Amino acid sequence: MPILELTTLTKHFGGVHAVDELDLAVEEGEIFGLIGPNGSGKSTTVNLICGVVSVTAGRVAFEGRDITGSAPHRVLAAGVARTFQNIRLFGHLTVWQNLWVAQNSVEDRRSENFAKRWFFGSGATRDAVDQQLEFAGLAGKRNELAANLAFGEQRRLELARALATKPRLLLLDEPAAGMNLEEVHALDGRLRALQQAGMTIVLVEHVMELVMGVTDRIAVLNFGRKIAEGLPAAIQEDPAVQQAYLGGGVETAHA
Amino acid sequence: MDDIYLITILSNIGMISFIALSAYLLLVVGEISFGQQAFFAVSAYGSGIATAMWGWPIWLGLLWGALVAGAAALVVAIPTVRLRGLYFSVATLAFAEMVRLIFEIFTYQVEIDGELVGPDGSDGFRDIRAIYDSNVSAFEYMLIIYGLLAVVLIGFLILERSRLGAIFRMIGEDPMLTEMQGLNVTKYKILAVVMAGIVAGIGGALYAHLATYVEPKIFNVMLGVHALAYGLIGGLGTAFGPLIGVAIDIGLLESIRAISGYRMIVFGGLVAVLLIVRPRGLLDEAAMHWLRGRWRGLIRAEN
Ligand SMILES: Nc1ncnc2c1ncn2[C@@H]1O[C@H](COP(=O)(O)OP(=O)(O)OP(=O)(O)O)[C@@H](O)[C@H]1O
Ligand SMILES: [Mg+2]
Repeated sequence: MPILELTTLTKHFGGVHAVDELDLAVEEGEIFGLIGPNGSGKSTTVNLICGVVSVTAGRVAFEGRDITGSAPHRVLAAGVARTFQNIRLFGHLTVWQNLWVAQNSVEDRRSENFAKRWFFGSGATRDAVDQQLEFAGLAGKRNELAANLAFGEQRRLELARALATKPRLLLLDEPAAGMNLEEVHALDGRLRALQQAGMTIVLVEHVMELVMGVTDRIAVLNFGRKIAEGLPAAIQEDPAVQQAYLGGGVETAHA
Repeated sequence: MDDIYLITILSNIGMISFIALSAYLLLVVGEISFGQQAFFAVSAYGSGIATAMWGWPIWLGLLWGALVAGAAALVVAIPTVRLRGLYFSVATLAFAEMVRLIFEIFTYQVEIDGELVGPDGSDGFRDIRAIYDSNVSAFEYMLIIYGLLAVVLIGFLILERSRLGAIFRMIGEDPMLTEMQGLNVTKYKILAVVMAGIVAGIGGALYAHLATYVEPKIFNVMLGVHALAYGLIGGLGTAFGPLIGVAIDIGLLESIRAISGYRMIVFGGLVAVLLIVRPRGLLDEAAMHWLRGRWRGLIRAEN
């Protein structure tokens, strides 16, 4: 059974068919690439899965359960976390607080203890946050406001925050946008490490060095429709895909 | 004589601080309420009825007023917290005006020692005499006001460092992103509205017993607008912000007699200028972060 299954998923914004009868099946443990030209419906697909925009038609199933139209907090509770194409952090909170609340949302939140649940959380949760800061390379910035971080640090914090909620499926919307080559390599390594640890990842990305190297399978969208699906090498050769990217090779396509 | 003047001003600052904190809490969760005076009013009447008509002791009357205000806030919250921005503001304003108009016609009087006591429509509610009957002096009552204010303020400061406080700020900044952290934003907003109602209610109950007389027209929209302005002046980064706002308005502007006739003009101008140069007030989040950093530095230097 696929961990994520989209069935004839459709989203219309007025006359725009942002996502059009999309069928997709992501298997547990794989890194699945979702690519396509600008405006092809990648972000909308992520938003549909997360319950951020309402579904026009079709179905989203996660681990066999129908989550179509679920409120975002329920989708997260079900085990799906995401990052954003345009970084979204709580800029008024510190780096540490950004992670702490996310961590709490799965742990102390279920606690019977009033003080733990509403006020200060448990020591274990605090330790877990410290570990995550370490892993994200942000330990030195723990008391900084998220708004004051450098761009690359904000990206790392966003990923760390998604991971803090202990998802089984991670949706990454252009995590490499704006990164230099070195940072892309670091991200590549991080994604592989996550996969080793059993995470399933859907990677929306324009940076082909990353997509072609790290993904197991790729689906290509164009005008909301899936025009190709398969192994990275096959996608690279696919004439329909090359056509979609305005005649150029996939390798040269950048956002 | 001057002593009484000082005590009166300080007591006013204290009472108004509650409604300022109430509006501040909602500003933190990103909602602008023009209606916090309604909870102030509901509690003023509720606690007055409890002590003057039902003969409850004053502390129970205060508690009762705050609870009634909290219950009223719950009733308002459930249909309105889903509204965004301007719609929430208009809904709270409409509710507050409705409450005021109800008090204009609300009559409920009983005979006590041959005299009619209780709310009498637009003539108001006289003889809420509990503190005078129990021989509490103006000075002692001021201490009670500040004692309760200290308790509420400490509550806010604890909240500030807690998970719930962080969630309130998250909602204020980006409700959709908060929802995507697995948090039910509607539920937390209802909680914030109820907490804000209770806080305004404490102020209202204190007010009724100090003034001994309440009438509906006191609770007009200007009270709510001031409550909002206090947080916006003093800053939304800390619960001290709205208190600074109150102190500036009542403490400074009202007591400088030279500008007495122009107080509203000066106050309005101050708000306008601040909204342009510091949209989230003097002590905004960035200022508080800087101050906390300095504070931590000092502590480290000590050790
Ligand atoms: N909220 C919205 N309202 C109206 N139209 C929208 C909305 N969101 C997306 N669209 C439209 O839907 C289409 C798909 O947009 P989407 O953001 O999903 O594309 P994308 O593949 O993520 O593109 P990019 O690579 O530029 O991020 C576009 O035509 C876009 O203009
Ligand atoms: Mg996109």
